[in-house]
Amino acid sequence: MKISKKIIDNLKKGGVDFYLSVPCKLLANMIDILENDKDVYYSAVPREEEGMGICAGAYLGNKFPCIMMQNTGIGNSVNAIVSLLQLYQMPVVFLISYRGTPGEPVGAQGGMAKITEDILQTLRIPMLHCSSEKELDKISTFSKHAKVVESPVAILCDFNLMKDDK
Amino acid sequence: MNRFDLLNKVQNILKDNLVICNIGLPSQELYKISDQPNFFYMLGSMGLSSSIGLGLALSQNKHVISIDGDGSVLMNMNTLATIGNRAPSNYTLLIIDNGSYGSTGDQRTFTDEKTSLKDVALGAGCKNVIECYGEETVNELNKAIDDKDNSYVIISKINSGNVKIDPIPLNPITIRDRFRKFIGKVKYL
Repeated sequence: MKISKKIIDNLKKGGVDFYLSVPCKLLANMIDILENDKDVYYSAVPREEEGMGICAGAYLGNKFPCIMMQNTGIGNSVNAIVSLLQLYQMPVVFLISYRGTPGEPVGAQGGMAKITEDILQTLRIPMLHCSSEKELDKISTFSKHAKVVESPVAILCDFNLMKDDK
Repeated sequence: MNRFDLLNKVQNILKDNLVICNIGLPSQELYKISDQPNFFYMLGSMGLSSSIGLGLALSQNKHVISIDGDGSVLMNMNTLATIGNRAPSNYTLLIIDNGSYGSTGDQRTFTDEKTSLKDVALGAGCKNVIECYGEETVNELNKAIDDKDNSYVIISKINSGNVKIDPIPLNPITIRDRFRKFIGKVKYL
């Protein structure tokens, strides 16, 4: 719970007040925290691309949105990212559980893991790669950066960082 | 009645609300009929009009109308489940159902065959689902906005067909900024 709490605290410190998720077991603790947090909006959504649309609307309504998802969700959302969030320059934080990184037991997750950072780089999305607890301290500044540059940003949390967060 | 005729009929209702308008001809036709700062024209992201409107309705108190199409809803059908479970009362989804992909040359959609978006919406958990025809839409839309306790999905059945029209000449940032300024929370404009 310590890691998950630190991530959410830092996102909130960065001003994020609207959260969606397409669940992942590595995100489960964060979802528990958000479901019990009366200060922010949280909902699950069925698909990441749809979540990008909801985040865009939340930004128009003056919220600072974050969508939590597995890295596979980036693959589901490329057009929405480019022709909505980037076209209209909308700050949204992607909080990504980085499935398929070392420690991952499911071999099939390796495919998207190999290309996740390439996709984000191709999309010119600023990335914060968190593989240890001390890197989580950068999350609040990095989230604020999304607002300054009016762009979606991506925070990648490695499998091994999240897996023992009991 | 086609989409252009329908948008003409409802334009006075739209003017008083926040509107998210679907990509392509729906936005171009609405822009030609009446351009307003409280109209957000989608220049990309087909399928997401209902979702953008939902996020907006959840984030502030003004009434939001998402104008969507049958082809676009078919592309993002999970949106109906999210709306059924999460839409606040200041949200109305207006699906202009002409049974065709209007912006790409009027190819038939599945709503022109076996699919009923009304049945899908009801099954997805939406409570107030209205299917109406052409001019009836004006009344139904007014009723939906006047009901302060419930959100609505209105499926407006009309004929296919488009008018000849130009792309919207507005820059996306202009669309974004004047829309946010209208909502009243953006200080830098």
